[in-house]
Amino acid sequence: MRGLGELEAAVMDVLWHAGEPLRVRQVLERLDTGKDLAYTTVMTVMDNLHRKNWLTRERDGKAYLYAATVTRAEAAANAVREVLSASGDPRAALLHFAQTASEEESDLLRKALRRKASKK
Amino acid sequence: MTVALALLAGAALVGWLAPRRLVRLADPVVALVAWLVSVVAVVATAAGAMFLLVVPDHGLGVVAAFHHCWNALQHGTTPAIEAVSGATGVALLTALLVRVAVVGRRTARQRAQEGRRHMDVLRVAARREAGPHPTLWLEHDRPLAFSLAGKPGVVVATDGLHRHLTPAQVEAVLTHERAHLDGRHHLLVTIGDVVAATLPFLPLFKRAAIAVREFVEMAADTAAVRAHGAETVRVALLRVAGHGAPGPALAMSRDAVETRLARLQQRQSTPSTMRRLLSCGLAGATAMVLPAAAAAGALTALMLVVCP
Repeated sequence: MRGLGELEAAVMDVLWHAGEPLRVRQVLERLDTGKDLAYTTVMTVMDNLHRKNWLTRERDGKAYLYAATVTRAEAAANAVREVLSASGDPRAALLHFAQTASEEESDLLRKALRRKASKK
Repeated sequence: MTVALALLAGAALVGWLAPRRLVRLADPVVALVAWLVSVVAVVATAAGAMFLLVVPDHGLGVVAAFHHCWNALQHGTTPAIEAVSGATGVALLTALLVRVAVVGRRTARQRAQEGRRHMDVLRVAARREAGPHPTLWLEHDRPLAFSLAGKPGVVVATDGLHRHLTPAQVEAVLTHERAHLDGRHHLLVTIGDVVAATLPFLPLFKRAAIAVREFVEMAADTAAVRAHGAETVRVALLRVAGHGAPGPALAMSRDAVETRLARLQQRQSTPSTMRRLLSCGLAGATAMVLPAAAAAGALTALMLVVCP
């Protein structure tokens, strides 16, 4: 299962790198995972990605042309937003380096620190 | 009956007063150990008290040397009262422990699910940097870092860290997050949350969630300071926490950040592994026997008063 997950990341990598819609065959040719992959494996992975809304596809002759639905930066921004919205959740499974303070609060924070430092 | 009551009183006393002492411990790892062991000790001592109520003969055995005194103290109470209150206590305690177990299981499962959901997105969206704890890099301008428990646990960081922090500061942030994974801090936080949610009485239980969260942050800070120096960690913390985006949901643990910054400013030295191990063992042992010791103290005092 973890192997498939890594393959998903590798396939998205190829499509984000290409910047244009690709067929399964083209993705297979560009995949650099160090092992020989079967055409059907890659097809399954891309089908999964399509099901999970990472890819859109359009029929082009006999095969599908796949394209990423979002750019890598958009995907990262979505992930960050999702994680941050969950971090106040009692079900949250993560530990933050520092929960973000609002602009006003961090301003106060810095001022308070300067005062503390100068008192010493 | 008296021994049982003394044990209950000892447990309550520790549950009431221990947090004040615990938050003043200098080493957050020692504080973590002491706090969690205290929780176990208070529950175990209360359970011991119930046991003595139900099986009073064992109680007699414990204080055989003070047999006369025991009789004097026991004067006036009938075994029936003991049995009834003991049975009630056992039932109450069992119900509470079952609740802890049920809520604990549910919470752990929910968090694991939530973690897998995050991982599903992150695995695709991020670039993976291999290691004992893989780092997942997100192409995002805001400097952010967090850790997700799992098999293996991962550190998630944004490229924004590199843009807003020096390389040494970035390393300090990553060391902090890896310390969370190495110390199994996600598990400890979950335990603290469950204790606070299911045993909402006595400060030792009620404040467990917040205390554990603060202690694990400080423990991870200590690890980062040992590798990169206090000033580096302090500035990194300031830059990450201060990089605010407006949003009411996010402005939460300012206090913890402030406490951490204050601690980083006055930190002198970090203890060696050996010394820390020793302090942890000592703190754990003390915390374990403290409720019983308090009970013994109360009982002795009572005996001195009643039978001089």
